[in-house]
Amino acid sequence: MVDGFFITAIKGFALVNLLMGFFAIMTWVERRLIGRFQVRLGPNRVGPYGLLQPIADLGKLLRKQSVIPAGARPRLYLLAPFVSLTCAIGAFGLMPFGGVASVPGTDIDFHLYMADSNVALLFVAALGSLGFYGLLIGGWASGSKYSLLGGMRAIAQLVSYEVAFTLAVIGVVIHAGSLSFVDIVQQQSDWVWFIVPQFLGFVVFMIAAVAESNRPPFDLAEADGEVVAGYHTEYGGMRFAMFANAEFINAITLSALAAVLFLGGPSGPLLPGPLWMLLKAGFFLFIFIWLRATTPRVRFDQLMSLGWKVLLPAATLNLVVTAAFVVYG
Amino acid sequence: MLGDWASLLIYLLFAALVAGTLLFASVALGTRGRREGRQKAYSFESGVSVGSFAPSNFSINYYLTAMLFIVFDIEIVYLYPLAVILEPLGVFGFVELCVFVAVLGLGYVYIWRKGALEWK
Repeated sequence: MVDGFFITAIKGFALVNLLMGFFAIMTWVERRLIGRFQVRLGPNRVGPYGLLQPIADLGKLLRKQSVIPAGARPRLYLLAPFVSLTCAIGAFGLMPFGGVASVPGTDIDFHLYMADSNVALLFVAALGSLGFYGLLIGGWASGSKYSLLGGMRAIAQLVSYEVAFTLAVIGVVIHAGSLSFVDIVQQQSDWVWFIVPQFLGFVVFMIAAVAESNRPPFDLAEADGEVVAGYHTEYGGMRFAMFANAEFINAITLSALAAVLFLGGPSGPLLPGPLWMLLKAGFFLFIFIWLRATTPRVRFDQLMSLGWKVLLPAATLNLVVTAAFVVYG
Repeated sequence: MLGDWASLLIYLLFAALVAGTLLFASVALGTRGRREGRQKAYSFESGVSVGSFAPSNFSINYYLTAMLFIVFDIEIVYLYPLAVILEPLGVFGFVELCVFVAVLGLGYVYIWRKGALEWK
């Protein structure tokens, strides 16, 4: 552990709660922004500017009747949202928010990250991929054909883009010579933000990230005109909200990952590290929301051919060029 | 012994706790239906009764995609350690990488021309 047990426990508790709180605020931000994009107001009734809307939603979702469909396998049906949400929150764990800070008024120092692992990047990819099981289990265990179709679609889409996603990141790894987020951030503040030498990798990464987090225009797994609501057709109330929560937290994790890998993460002048992370990740989240508001959903064959025929060769080209640049440049 | 992973385990524990609490709350706090009718439990089919449902045959494309994924993802896993030490390895590492990517490219051209990348 980089800090003592008690500090680590407090940090873990705080990080989980901050993440959930940030998610709650972002649902409000997303709905307000989409409202603006569509020339309407968005939620503005509950509390000032509608800011208490997430709390009202939570209360409503918690009171929904807990229905388990007749054809479902009950235990797996209940397990699915749990798997999704746990993995989504877990994947955020290694994000760095800066170096060493101290508790105000004391001389207790602590690090602004949970842990510095030399396989941090693989860990995020691994836990993110484990979360896919939640969608597959949920789709299969619901006992409905739309759920099953949605679940299968989700998996086909996620594994296809996982290939382009992991390949696009290798360019950054070659430049940094490390998989640790702390090292990657350090390299960028020593040299230059990796978005400059890795622009192609960044573009592939962002497209794949939108597909990985199952958000429009790549939300084929829950295309309401085709498969009702996809894998969460049979889910209601809090359990549906857990899937939505996991999906949005994945988007937050990918935004934070994009900030760390390409925009120098928590490093920056004047402002403290966590604030820089918030600004950079918030910028990417805004792009996610913007895409949702302005792009129509793609067709499934278009989605697959974009992943396999465009992004994969582009990421491979980026990899070889980067390697040549690092070795001969 | 666990080193940094211990702090990550603590974090994962909190993550599971949050998800578990929400799941438990969804069962414990939900309003009770006045009548436990069968109709409500039927799965969604726009109001038409579904009859029985069993997962059966599936489009071959899903299996194909899964196989392609396994092939390419394992290749990428091999590339990660190479990428980490590419700079110290120098020219040797670069040639090694090019050979690896060339073999990968051959397989890629093959599956493309076989039509495995077309979604039918």
